[in-house]
Amino acid sequence: MTANSIGARVSGNGFGGRLYSIVMRQKAFVAIIVMLVVMLFAPTHFYTAYNLLDMLNSTSILLILSFGVTLTIVAGGCDLSIGGILVVSGILSIKLQDFLPMGAAIALAVLFGVVVGFVNGFLSVHQKTEPFIITLGMGLLLTGIAQQLTDAHPVPAKNPAFMMIGNGDFHGVPNLVIIMVVCFVLALWLMRYTQFGRNLYAIGGDYEVARYSGIPVIRTKWMAFVISGGCAALAGVLLSAKLNTGSSIYGDLTALVVNCGVVVGGTSFAGGIGGIPQSALGLLVFGMLDNVMNMLAIPSYYQVLLKGAVIVAIIWLDCFAQKRKREFV
Amino acid sequence: MAEVAIHAGRNPVARAAQAFFRDYLVLVMITLLVAITAIVEPKFLNPRNLVNIMRQFGPLMMVSLGMTFVIIGGFIDLSVAGIINLVAVVTISLIGPLGQVPALLAGMLIGSACGALNAAAILTSGALTQAEALFLTFGMSTVFSALALLYSGGMTMHFWDIKSSKAMFETIGAGTVGPVSVSFVIFLVVLLLLWVFQTKTTEGRAISLTGGNKTAARLSGVRILRSIFVIYVVCGLMTAVGAIVLFSRITTAAPVIGAGYETNAILSVVVGGTTLKGGKGSVLRTVMGVLLVILMSNCLDLLGVSTYLQVVTKGAILVLAIWLDNRKQV
Repeated sequence: MTANSIGARVSGNGFGGRLYSIVMRQKAFVAIIVMLVVMLFAPTHFYTAYNLLDMLNSTSILLILSFGVTLTIVAGGCDLSIGGILVVSGILSIKLQDFLPMGAAIALAVLFGVVVGFVNGFLSVHQKTEPFIITLGMGLLLTGIAQQLTDAHPVPAKNPAFMMIGNGDFHGVPNLVIIMVVCFVLALWLMRYTQFGRNLYAIGGDYEVARYSGIPVIRTKWMAFVISGGCAALAGVLLSAKLNTGSSIYGDLTALVVNCGVVVGGTSFAGGIGGIPQSALGLLVFGMLDNVMNMLAIPSYYQVLLKGAVIVAIIWLDCFAQKRKREFV
Repeated sequence: MAEVAIHAGRNPVARAAQAFFRDYLVLVMITLLVAITAIVEPKFLNPRNLVNIMRQFGPLMMVSLGMTFVIIGGFIDLSVAGIINLVAVVTISLIGPLGQVPALLAGMLIGSACGALNAAAILTSGALTQAEALFLTFGMSTVFSALALLYSGGMTMHFWDIKSSKAMFETIGAGTVGPVSVSFVIFLVVLLLLWVFQTKTTEGRAISLTGGNKTAARLSGVRILRSIFVIYVVCGLMTAVGAIVLFSRITTAAPVIGAGYETNAILSVVVGGTTLKGGKGSVLRTVMGVLLVILMSNCLDLLGVSTYLQVVTKGAILVLAIWLDNRKQV
């Protein structure tokens, strides 16, 4: 009986239909599988523990950024100011070390991100401006601040202990990966098992319904922006520690790439759908794509082209899937 | 009675003043800016500086005018930077082999084609919200920029490398008609055309309706898909014109020449008073917005403010303008 009904369902939707729905839901996963399969046949050092760990290490800063952004996108917003926060807090963490001990400098740099997130939240949640455009403006403002702080030159860090945060390892596992995993677990717990996280999904699903159900919508969504700012600032500090310099150029496209990566993973701009693991997968697509393209020695301009094409294709698919859903409703 | 007095809204004169400030804040700001700078730094009113300001009108103005239509239509276009890169390097390389007029036309055609490609991506995927369009056009921008890099091999192309005649482009870049520059005359002609298009043609009115309320527009017989196609093609075309004016003025074209134009164009449009919610706005408002942005950087230059602080100021004004724009709706 059950076998029959399952069989009927399968044939009813058709193999193609099922494949279609899997591809639509797990775009990032499919992309990763494709890359893994391609690399099986390429004579490179891709499948070495060293390379895979290195890939994870270089993606971990983007991943930390994405966890914060996921919160805002799930709640129906988005945060494009993270690129600006990333560079400014990175520069602050180095510059402040001239006057303060390292711990205090890092804490202040992260606090800076939290404050920017608070302002973002005020403008986009409390004042109800379009989040993506107001955070884009905020990113521009912060990039200017970063350039002013550094005179558009890289600022070297002088403290070897600071560099060790970004480059050291613990029994062979890089520090950045460990910090990223801790952030991942925290964010996962926050989104899955706390009232705050569940409320974010409710708000993203339908703002008005959430409000009428007694969820403190403004406070909750505002908090998402604050956390996103904090994550971005933490990522900025780690980036500075990894490169041992603070520079105003690294934030250029980071914000858009991270937001795209989150959507690639399956967290939709419509809000209420997605989560931390999906975002991690989505950003891994970009990290792996970089790694694979370098391994295959693809010229850098073609890499830019390919990356742009991937962004367009995946956002296109995301919108296309939603359109089908909208038509059904 | 005291309460009535506090409510300025009851008094017709005060209400009119309030409405004027709300709608023409940008004019007030321009006047203030000019007055303050003229007092602090008399060099500002020097004829040479005024001509210089007129020159700067070109590229940003063209791009912003195109962007106005996209924003009135309720969308956004981040791909203008990529389009400028691509059009600039392709057009300048075609002047030699094809001649001047075909190169110009080819550049405008490429710009329109890029716009059409944006529209195609948006329409086929049904990305009918601003946020989705933002990310799609960002991806497109990356693609266009990559194409520009591939086409030029990352090299900067110079006018002096072109052996054949390039008099037309030199005229666009540096020529003058009496006291005004040629690029200013081009701007006036284009502005007139676009203003007529926006306010006097069915297609132009349809764009406003689409931006105001897509469902209502569709139900009242507006072909909204066509409107969306038109706004992106117009934006692509105007961006191409902007790119041509830009490389004619600086006589070189690098594949990264367009960086930052997308935010500056959005800034100018929003500061001018065209609302990001779509449906309301005009090309004339954008002219004021661009004027404010250009005057601001000119004034800050004269006052000796660093380039980086100017970026900060621009960002702050953008955030402030969006915030005020949003409050206006409430």
